[in-house]
Amino acid sequence: MATLRMNRRQILGWGGAAAGIALAGAPRSLLAQDTRIRMFWWGSKERADRTNQVNKLYEAAHQGVSINGETLGWPDYWPRLATQTAGRNAPDVIQMDYRYIVEYARRGALLPLDDFMPSVLKIEDFGKPAIDCGRVEGKLYGINLGNNSTAKVYDAETLQQIGAEEPKWDWSWSQWGDWSLKVAQASKRDGFWGIEDAGGIEPALDCWLRQKGKALYTADGKPGFDVAAMTEWFGFWHELRQKKAIPPADVQALDKQSPETSMLALGHTASIITNSNQLVAHQVLSKTKLKMTMQPSGGPGAKPGQYLKPSMLFSISARSQVAEEAARVINFYVTDPGAGKVLGVERGVPASKTLRDAVAPTLDELSRAMLDYISFITDKVGDLPPSPPKGAGEINFLLKRVNEQVGFGQAAPADAAKQFVDEANSILDRG
Amino acid sequence: MTIAVQASGRAERAKRGRRVTSSTLSGYLFLTPWLIGFIGLTAGPILVSLYLSFTDFDLLQDPRWIGAANYVRIATADPKFLSSMKVTFLFVLFAVPLKLAFALAVAMVLNKGIAGLPVYRALFYLPSLLGASVAIAVLWRQLFAGNGLVNQFLALFGIHGPSWISNPDYALSTLVVLSVWQFGSPMIIFLAGLRQIPRDLYEASAIDGAKRWHQFWRITLPLLTPVVFFNAVIQTIEAFKAFTPAFIISEGTGGPIDSTLFYTLYLYQEAFSNFRMGYASALAWVLVVIIALFTAFSFLSARYWVHYDD
Repeated sequence: MATLRMNRRQILGWGGAAAGIALAGAPRSLLAQDTRIRMFWWGSKERADRTNQVNKLYEAAHQGVSINGETLGWPDYWPRLATQTAGRNAPDVIQMDYRYIVEYARRGALLPLDDFMPSVLKIEDFGKPAIDCGRVEGKLYGINLGNNSTAKVYDAETLQQIGAEEPKWDWSWSQWGDWSLKVAQASKRDGFWGIEDAGGIEPALDCWLRQKGKALYTADGKPGFDVAAMTEWFGFWHELRQKKAIPPADVQALDKQSPETSMLALGHTASIITNSNQLVAHQVLSKTKLKMTMQPSGGPGAKPGQYLKPSMLFSISARSQVAEEAARVINFYVTDPGAGKVLGVERGVPASKTLRDAVAPTLDELSRAMLDYISFITDKVGDLPPSPPKGAGEINFLLKRVNEQVGFGQAAPADAAKQFVDEANSILDRG
Repeated sequence: MTIAVQASGRAERAKRGRRVTSSTLSGYLFLTPWLIGFIGLTAGPILVSLYLSFTDFDLLQDPRWIGAANYVRIATADPKFLSSMKVTFLFVLFAVPLKLAFALAVAMVLNKGIAGLPVYRALFYLPSLLGASVAIAVLWRQLFAGNGLVNQFLALFGIHGPSWISNPDYALSTLVVLSVWQFGSPMIIFLAGLRQIPRDLYEASAIDGAKRWHQFWRITLPLLTPVVFFNAVIQTIEAFKAFTPAFIISEGTGGPIDSTLFYTLYLYQEAFSNFRMGYASALAWVLVVIIALFTAFSFLSARYWVHYDD
């Protein structure tokens, strides 16, 4: 067998040549003194396209800054963020949710942004509520990227085709239930109903509880629901299921709480409960025209069930090395008209009035509908509740599971209600 | 000439005694990349996870030592531990024997020396290459959904199938079917084992009037027991560790109603969705102990039913 004979000089020579080739192929930023900012957000492809476009706008306007964007779907986003934070490798600009910001802020994972306020973050015209929603224990940790609220998105075109009436914004829960049965009967399709089985859907429960003067969670993190309320809740959906007015349990179980698996996208219902800023995402998945209206009302004399909330916020990692530049990027997102036109209302309606006015004329029909919806409900909503306690995410899944148990006949509504309240309490106690 | 060289070599080695030879050193040097990976990516994290199992660690703050509290909770106060263990046991109980049975059956058919054997072998092996992937799990979810291909096929016969993956009675079965579909890799091993059985045993028994069933039961199976043992142990361990199919098909929920909540999926939820990494580490170590017990039991029982050829 022939052996390769090389002396030291030759090895050094070839090694140097290889290293030189590698360096030549390296990106320019390795040698240049660019400021690299890592940004992490969750969302659909629609949101990713818009965000990347805004990042390019920022890079064009600010030489020497490059923004690396990473994105994931909602279920995978939080494990990845938690792991990166644990590994001291969190991105600089982090998209935050109202539910998690308290947990991250209290544990020192986020940077307080108060010092950037008048100089870098020019957000005074947000109004106090829209700024304070990002405060935890008095310090500002997140900048409101847009307001949204829950909504009912329905398929107006299909309803017209089958001759069913369009739902009205002030219908009560039972009116929606009756309408659902009528839609099922009017439709020639098998397995099609008006509304979904919302017994396991947390925003629906939230709205319903608030209309009765209660809430999902009290200010000190205790559950605002009791066995009596939950029995009524599970019983209501159980009855609708018996009347075959809503999808049966094994159809509803296909809904994994994402736009692609919603009952609307799967063609099983004419309407779903979702967030107002996701109208775009739902329309992309639907060949027919969609419209939006409010969640069922509590009837005359009921308190408002819905509220305006920050759909998402931008925060900065506590360990970021480029905090000031990151703050400038965030400011660009929420105040620059060019960025605003690209982002539209996909992340929610901008909190800044100047930005809203600048963006409104450029919105397409769908985005216009989202903006009008928020304007329409602004005087019909209640106050923003405090951020949910730790364990709220687990209770969200618990609700779905217990509703499925009632749906599959494994538990009666009263027993399910007791089980739900007990387990929810033990989750919250565990801390 | 060679004997003299050998003698002098041995003398030299005796002189040097137990000093590390240069070939040993270069052996370790070649191993170094793998050793770094093993210690850094496998052994190290395993030890850290043992430490973490005695802490309360929510990923965002530093771990806090709490002693055996996690293990106590697993043993006494965790209904989901029991339910996920039950789901996993059910899965192992059904998937492994079925898989091995299919593998052996198909291997025996292929062993008859049919035409195009390499093609069939490759075709049957293909699923086990792709099977644990995300793509196949997504495909499976589509196949078994309410209006998926399986139900469309059944509709041809007038059968109105249920929504397999969203019905708690059937969801686990779809995962069992997915696992059994990947029988290709134990099948290849069975095929190799069958090949080693001497043909004259069959001829001799045929002369003595043995029927095919007798031949299988008295010749094939006893001589195959080492292979069966190997496949059983490996497949059982794999089944206990199954994660991707359950995760994808239930979209991380273990639903409906926790009917597909595998132990590993529960572990993942505790670690990453509920920010309880310490507790999840404890769950992981409990699984290690359970698998170790199973394997030890298998090896002990092997004495009674595995016939080695010597």
